[in-house]
Amino acid sequence: MYAALLSNRYLTSRLIPFIAIAAVALCVALVVTVVSVMTGFLNMLKDSGRQIVGDVIVSTGIGGMPYGDEFVADLQGLPSVQGASALIDTIGLLRMPYPRGDQKEITHVQVWAVDPASLATVTEYANDLYWKPPVDSDAAQAMAADDPRRRLDASILHDGKTLTESRTGTPGIALGMHVSVGNARQRDGSYLPRYGWFMPDFDVTLTVVPVSSQGKIAEPREQIFPVVNEVQTGVYEVDKNRVYIPLKEGQRLLRLDEAPLFDLDAEPDAQGRYPLIGMTPARVTKLLVRAKSGTTANALRDQVEVAYQAFAARIAADPLRTATMPEFINVLTWEQQLRDLITPVEKEREMMRVLFSLIYLVCAGLILSIFWAIVIEKTRDIGILRSVGASRAGVLWIFLRYGFIIGVVGSALGVLMAWGVIRNINAIHEAIGSDAPQAIWIGTYVLSGLCALALIRAIWRGKLLAILLWLLGTSVLALIATALALHHGTLIWDPSVYYFTIVPDQVDWTTAWSTALGGVLFSVIGAAIPAAKAADIDPVEALRYG
Amino acid sequence: MGDAAAAQAPALLSARGVHKTYSFGAIPVEVLRGADLEVVQGEWVAVLGSSGSGKSTLLHVMGGLDKPDRGRGEICFQGAPIATTHGARLDAYRNRDIGFVFQFYHLLPELDVLENAMLPAMVGNWFPWLGTRADEARDSARALLESFGLGHRLTHRPAQLSGGERQRVAIARALANTPKVLLADEPTGNLDVKTGEGILDLLSERHARGLTVVMVTHDPAVAARADRVVKLTDGRVEVAFEIER
Repeated sequence: MYAALLSNRYLTSRLIPFIAIAAVALCVALVVTVVSVMTGFLNMLKDSGRQIVGDVIVSTGIGGMPYGDEFVADLQGLPSVQGASALIDTIGLLRMPYPRGDQKEITHVQVWAVDPASLATVTEYANDLYWKPPVDSDAAQAMAADDPRRRLDASILHDGKTLTESRTGTPGIALGMHVSVGNARQRDGSYLPRYGWFMPDFDVTLTVVPVSSQGKIAEPREQIFPVVNEVQTGVYEVDKNRVYIPLKEGQRLLRLDEAPLFDLDAEPDAQGRYPLIGMTPARVTKLLVRAKSGTTANALRDQVEVAYQAFAARIAADPLRTATMPEFINVLTWEQQLRDLITPVEKEREMMRVLFSLIYLVCAGLILSIFWAIVIEKTRDIGILRSVGASRAGVLWIFLRYGFIIGVVGSALGVLMAWGVIRNINAIHEAIGSDAPQAIWIGTYVLSGLCALALIRAIWRGKLLAILLWLLGTSVLALIATALALHHGTLIWDPSVYYFTIVPDQVDWTTAWSTALGGVLFSVIGAAIPAAKAADIDPVEALRYG
Repeated sequence: MGDAAAAQAPALLSARGVHKTYSFGAIPVEVLRGADLEVVQGEWVAVLGSSGSGKSTLLHVMGGLDKPDRGRGEICFQGAPIATTHGARLDAYRNRDIGFVFQFYHLLPELDVLENAMLPAMVGNWFPWLGTRADEARDSARALLESFGLGHRLTHRPAQLSGGERQRVAIARALANTPKVLLADEPTGNLDVKTGEGILDLLSERHARGLTVVMVTHDPAVAARADRVVKLTDGRVEVAFEIER
């Protein structure tokens, strides 16, 4: 087909189509890279979120839910449930051991009073305990000299898993990794104590405020806890705010523990005591449930709701159970629970996608102007083609095909470039975060010097284009060399902002293909207008043009 | 072919009362003012005229590249009207029935000699590179070029050829689909006398094999190579005379 022959010849006989291909490739690579990293970030966030709270979260009001352990047992009996755990979720103030002197820092925290054993069946709690002894002596030797892990033994992990200081039997506290300022994050994602504040060596004081089921605030209560370990979930918001204490300690501090129930309507005895009529059960404010694989969070949520109705009916029907169940509970999937965390990232990703997709318009505009120039240059050819019987559709197809090829080649190269960048993004990030190797910036200065010599030669010959090009080459290379020489590492992906220590390095193939398709589409659109103009050219006028 | 024979034979290609007006800004310029010309099968007609007399316009209109003013003139090929056709039929007319040769050769610079000569065959078939027809077209174009003494230039680009060679390639292209009429617009106008003679010899040789030729020129010496010369003055064909051999 002559259209194919001419398209290919027009494509390969000049430089300008390669500029168009490069433009399409860069546009596609940019969109695919940005959206892939954002998608990977979102996926990591979702995965982490699920690991922190399980699949389904049951929440009650501040008064809590009685017989929580019994409901947990009910849930654990469901065939689709892998694990369930009851806890109390409240807020508190934590008095830190630092700074030295009497004035200590106080920070507000989210307090989770948990049963660590059952929590580990629902979340990654046991794996998230950060301080662990070295696996072996080689691993210990590989650590920095001041890394406290070198002197840790198995008790640190055990104490974290039980929230009890095994040496004294005292209930302990596990802090989120970023609660204390003592943990300094290293570039490799590990932590070293800062200013000597290795938290498992210290005690902290936790203050909480009990609130009755009627909403009345009681006297704040405080307790000193030894720090038994620290927890790194990977989600900065959680690691910055959350502390874990044993469930029983939490219930006691918040007055949600089991207590004797007196008949206040009866006459008190001689000592002024009312008759004991039973015990009020301990309460919890939250239950986390983990689904077995194959069960969706939504399906599990429905099952939990049904199970709760049955559980509440059973309690209500038992005359020996004096406590009343909450009128309503909230049953949410992990996605619903973490909506505040996930939704902004999803919106940010879509915003990025839209903003970067505007680049398509630039791409189409570039192709349009390039093709416009080519059509004007090829006006005489169009006249010749018409004179030998080429149809308007045939002429149109030459240029549409031309645009299509540029779109396909450019998009394919763009996806390939994005794949190369994304797969190596952590190495690239590491390189950007490190000093530039001396050999590279010296080599760049040498190249700049060679360009300067060529520039002098061009000035001697009086060639204006050569002068301009060599001047540009000299200046750009000198600037790059200087920037490299002055570069001492920039941490772009700050883990404290982006929650994670590694940059997502998986290509989002759905985005990659759809972006490539967009690249082709906009290339064809960019080519269509000049192509239509070419088809409309009067053949006699076109021949006269030549 | 003499006047008497021309008068008796049916016209292969004819222009009757053709008017053609161009607008240069707000000023209309009537280039053809009722031009009449009849060309019979196997005839070589030269249209002689000074620069700007409208001879190229007449050639373009007869070749279906341009149209007469609306309702003012008719072009017929083998008795069928051409001026009122359009689209695929007109494209097919230009592709199969007519071959154009231009003063400035008008070769495509990106294609080599063989590809230029094959262009009408490629345009006429959607897939000329496939199957027997493609091979036939290629062989036919190669044979034509070889007969024009261009066998050693097949893979050369137009920029690598002399003016005479380029015009021979252009003639080979015009003849690629074995058209019934060759329309030549000042075919020697851009060549020196000797080279021009060579081109005219080539046209003579094709004419001798039965090709109908309509050639426009401003040079009476070139026109003298034709069977019949018509003179175009003020947009009309005014004088027609047969060349004495």
